[in-house]
Amino acid sequence: MKQLVTTAIVLGRTDFGEADRILTLLTPEYGKLRVVAKGVRRVKSKLAGGIELFSVSHITFIKGRGDMGTLSSTRLIKHYGVIVQDIERTMTGYELIKQLNKLTEDEPEAGYFELLQQSFEALNEPIVPLPLIRTWFTAQLVRLGGHTPNLHTDSNGQKLDATMQYDFDTEKQTFVPHPDGGRFTANHIKFLRLIFAGNTPNVLAQVQGIGALLTACSPLIEIRGQFN
Amino acid sequence: MHILVIEPDLLLGGTYVRALEMAGHTTTHVTSAQEAIHAADLRRPGMVVLELQLPGSNGIAFLHEFRSYADWREVPVVLHTYVMPHIQRQFRDVVSEQLGVVSWLYKPQTSLEQLLSTVRSHTPAS
Repeated sequence: MKQLVTTAIVLGRTDFGEADRILTLLTPEYGKLRVVAKGVRRVKSKLAGGIELFSVSHITFIKGRGDMGTLSSTRLIKHYGVIVQDIERTMTGYELIKQLNKLTEDEPEAGYFELLQQSFEALNEPIVPLPLIRTWFTAQLVRLGGHTPNLHTDSNGQKLDATMQYDFDTEKQTFVPHPDGGRFTANHIKFLRLIFAGNTPNVLAQVQGIGALLTACSPLIEIRGQFN
Repeated sequence: MHILVIEPDLLLGGTYVRALEMAGHTTTHVTSAQEAIHAADLRRPGMVVLELQLPGSNGIAFLHEFRSYADWREVPVVLHTYVMPHIQRQFRDVVSEQLGVVSWLYKPQTSLEQLLSTVRSHTPAS
């Protein structure tokens, strides 16, 4: 049996037999893994240590013949402990994990692991606003799914102009010039470019006027998210 | 019925325990999420009364852990918490549906009698 080593984030867990647990893990190398953690009794539950939620760990596992591997050892790399000190951040963390667990195939690309790790980093920083993290997360899912909106040319194929205002055509997924005052200005488009370029929420939180930009741009991103 | 009371304030916890025991229940009082898992493992509760704000963790993390064990999935949970109602509202539906919370009580506005009556209303008839 081959023993493999990787970095992992716990997506979910459930009990299995008297003392074992099945963990669903997200890894950069092997995508989503299901492993049996043998002899993990409740008193040694996640709350006590070992492989914690909201953490990144090194794991060693044995790949079995079937779908399920067996966990042989774990070493915690980083625990994002600030998240569980705040109920809303904890709720958001669970929502993001659940959403990613649902969306990812069995072998998602490494980008999904990075996305979840960056989400934890952001949730762990109390100054990064939750609406920004949620919108950013959706935008990254859109990006990873290959549905990034056209942020370079308008509906006429012209380069987006910093002096113009635009509306967004959700059907055609492009900006439409609106000389009499569209909802989107150059600042909104710049902000969208920053989000879709993969900048982290911790960086985006420093953008001036982030609240207003987020209010204007979130609906556009959420609509894109529904296509994922 | 055996009730697991997860209340970090020792004085309040002691008060709830006395009231619940006078109402005919047995109780275990713990002050943290980890102790709660251990206590539930020693004796399966028929109900949990939970404060969301816990030292080093929080009630939501506890509930996710608690519900990940099949034999605790059906145990009714009453939230009795200092978390303000307008914050509760933001995640009430999700938590109720996904984590099996049967009742939400805002501690500063809930009398001992109301707590007992809520527990009674979720106690299965024997």
